[in-house]
Amino acid sequence: MPPFTDDELKAKVHDGYIVESVEEMTEGYRKSLVVQLTVQADTELMSAPAYWMAARHAPSTNTQVSAHAIIQDELAHANIAYRLLEDLGVSKERLVYGREPHEFKHPYGFDQPLDNWAELVVANGFFDRAGITLLSDVYNNTSYGPLKRALVKVDMEETFHLRHGEVWMRRLAKAGGDARAMLQRAVDWMFPMTLEWFGLPDDMKRHSGQLDYKLKGLTNDQLRQVWMQSTVPLCESLDLDVPAHWNEETQSFDLDYPFPCEYDAEDKIWDFAGGEITWDQVFTRWKARGPMNERYVESVRRSRGQVQNWLDSSKAA
Amino acid sequence: MKESVYDVFARKDRGDALQHIGYIDAPDAELARVYAWNTYNEQNWFEMCIVPRAQIIAVNRTDGPFARKEAVS
Repeated sequence: MPPFTDDELKAKVHDGYIVESVEEMTEGYRKSLVVQLTVQADTELMSAPAYWMAARHAPSTNTQVSAHAIIQDELAHANIAYRLLEDLGVSKERLVYGREPHEFKHPYGFDQPLDNWAELVVANGFFDRAGITLLSDVYNNTSYGPLKRALVKVDMEETFHLRHGEVWMRRLAKAGGDARAMLQRAVDWMFPMTLEWFGLPDDMKRHSGQLDYKLKGLTNDQLRQVWMQSTVPLCESLDLDVPAHWNEETQSFDLDYPFPCEYDAEDKIWDFAGGEITWDQVFTRWKARGPMNERYVESVRRSRGQVQNWLDSSKAA
Repeated sequence: MKESVYDVFARKDRGDALQHIGYIDAPDAELARVYAWNTYNEQNWFEMCIVPRAQIIAVNRTDGPFARKEAVS
């Protein structure tokens, strides 16, 4: 039996109490934390095959090595989050190997193919920025001690990924010509993709266990704004078009397109002309998963049987 | 592959305290060393060492990961 009722625990964590072990958690707290960590772990894991397949477009050996260093970081982050889940009684083995590809909880953005170097570096600049936005908020606010400590390393490395993305976006923008055109095309589909990633707007969000248990501090709309506060000025400084602008009156960013709207994953085009759709339609699209879902999941699982065979045969010898 | 938990301790510089920085799963101590060094490579650690969690003896608490022995092989 947990030492607190659910209401007591909610009050305590908002008073600064730090939870250190599963024995202190109520079932509601544990469940919310499991959902949060599963999304976190799956996102880190699925970024690896997406980045890995894109890294082959690197313009030189040196740059490919940098891209691979980022992939190694992402795999370490995934491992750290899955390990935290094991302490909560969830099997890492089952999460990684026992689910259907569509059951993974990473965002729809990481089901998309990254088809050239510009898309990889914009993924670093946009998706990893979204990761930092979400995880810094968790780091600053979480009531779960082991997660806060684990995030020191993760945040440090995600910042490096973001710098990689920004430096390369600058280079491609400066190069002009085809490089700039490729960069703008990447921005065109990846900017709305990242905004959608932050989820339901606050006025539709029914109830957030993650806020009640102080597993995070900011709401979805606040996090979307934080992401735009750095992303929009970056793009403007590079003369890249983004469908959002600063509103002096409300002191926040306004979107210049119907949000949410439909996405053509085949042609990588947002259907701005088709107008606003419902979030139920968005959830249907997310649940159906994107074009690379199965391939990415298969790619992170592939080597396991072979490695096991080698280990077994070396033991038998 | 039967894995068990190894806790990872490290210090950044001479004179720093050894800190618990994380943990990994590994089938044996040799692989645990490799996994630890490659997973927690965010710093040029002055010193890193690992301890099988099963070998950690809880002193004053009966809850938390260090007190749970049944989960560790």
